[in-house]
Amino acid sequence: MRRGLILASLLLFVATGFAVLKQSRSLTPVGNTPSLTGQVEYCLTCHADLPVISQSHPVETFGCVLCHGGEPLALTADLAHSTLRGGGNPSDLTVVEASCGGEKCHNGTPQVNRDHIQRVTTSLQATYAGAIAQVRYAFGAQPDLTAQMGIFAIDGLSAFDPTAEASPAIQSFGMNCLYCHLTAQPLVGDEYSRWSGCSACHSPSPREDGTLVHQLTTSVAYTQCDKCHNRGNYSLLDIKFHPREDAPTDRLHDYYQPIAEFTRCEWTLDCIDCHTRQEAMGDGHIYNNKKEIQYIRCRTCHGTIESLPLTYTITDENDLALRLAFLNPKVDLKVGDTILMTDKGELLWNIRALPGVEGTTPSYELFSKATDQRLTFSPVIGSTCQQKPDQQDARDCHECHATQR
Amino acid sequence: MIAMNAMPRKGDSLSRRNFLILLGKGSLAGSALISMGVLVRFISFHSEASPPTLYDLGLETNYPLGSRITVQSVPATIIHDSQGYHAISLVCPHLGCVIKTTSDGFACPCHGSRFGSDGSLRNGPASKSLTFLQVETNAEGHLILYTSE
Repeated sequence: MRRGLILASLLLFVATGFAVLKQSRSLTPVGNTPSLTGQVEYCLTCHADLPVISQSHPVETFGCVLCHGGEPLALTADLAHSTLRGGGNPSDLTVVEASCGGEKCHNGTPQVNRDHIQRVTTSLQATYAGAIAQVRYAFGAQPDLTAQMGIFAIDGLSAFDPTAEASPAIQSFGMNCLYCHLTAQPLVGDEYSRWSGCSACHSPSPREDGTLVHQLTTSVAYTQCDKCHNRGNYSLLDIKFHPREDAPTDRLHDYYQPIAEFTRCEWTLDCIDCHTRQEAMGDGHIYNNKKEIQYIRCRTCHGTIESLPLTYTITDENDLALRLAFLNPKVDLKVGDTILMTDKGELLWNIRALPGVEGTTPSYELFSKATDQRLTFSPVIGSTCQQKPDQQDARDCHECHATQR
Repeated sequence: MIAMNAMPRKGDSLSRRNFLILLGKGSLAGSALISMGVLVRFISFHSEASPPTLYDLGLETNYPLGSRITVQSVPATIIHDSQGYHAISLVCPHLGCVIKTTSDGFACPCHGSRFGSDGSLRNGPASKSLTFLQVETNAEGHLILYTSE
């Protein structure tokens, strides 16, 4: 009995000593109390070396947990990360509402231009509805090219389930061709590497060596778009993806696949310099294919032989153009400036009309959103161009302006 | 020569029995001491302090008439004009980022809201003007600023 007591005392001493020793070796918490939540979180204990993700999301204001989830008071990686939203990517569309949503953030109303999530989740980039409709129509599963299904069910689209399709070709399409939409895991390889969700475009891609970059940006370079676009072709003959086989080493050849023709401005600029927010991120409506939402033409900036491009003069300090220019400060816009505008009324805030002499042909300057390029250009009016106003597809302009390579 | 069957006597240095008893008592005492230390540490633990709601800004003579001085620790801009002392909070009413002063007022570096030199809203996304904070002079001539009502 007495021996048992002595042994128990010894064990208790060893156990308490071990517990104290282990506790003394644990990390000293580094607290951060973001002003938006007022709740302390210890994420910076391990992540103090991460750069602030963007100017619009300072860690002192947002902290980490508001976007990433996780256990704010945990001091071990396993516990702290056990409830992360979307793994390391809170912008994945399965969790984006909880991470990036909220009416003051990215799921507000269209009237205040805060409907980003609603627009993206209904966009072709997320639903892949156009490609699905094309393939199902081609193999007789639907009577026309109207979008009926998406990668997930949303706004009248039902969820595409390849295993429920009768056609083996459509089943193969489901197996082999669904790597590019915003919820898909990309193909293996640095050239395809990207995040899912918003970060597919707005964050630098993870590198093959596992390096990650903690950054959100609206300055999206063409190389980011090329993680999905211009990587190759999907063939309806064998229902497979065929990667491009050239190995481009310069910008001219890297920009598009060898089969494409393009003008100098197409390969000199980045995709987002011409393609608008609605084209890239959707406008909240379901479209049947890319052509329906992609509407920018050469005439949008250059006009036709009969008319100048549409313009818009900024009259209000609350103007959306000024807010967009603030988020990607490449051009110092101000009230009174005249910028170009699309047929749908989208503001091309990075293209400003240059002051000129009244009665003379105007000229314009474009500030590249992803680089520091500044290009000046003139409209078709006043040039030798004889392009017919109703022939404005790229192939029409390429007849004279295509670059040889 | 020592007898093989010699019994330990009282007064011998330490018998095996006494050693074990001492070891047991020592372990219990050590455990109790460690536990007491842990308990004291637990009881005396202070969670992250809440931000203060009262700031002593120093002598009011440091804020001469006509001055606009930003105190980053609050953060606020202290204005001394003919009406007296005023304090404008530099926390953006949009999402709480810290506002920067500009040549013609204030601007939020996060989302681009701008405010006039009197804190009035010039453009969003903020939907209201900057907040004025209560500031007063105490008996020692120090400016005291309150960040809550």
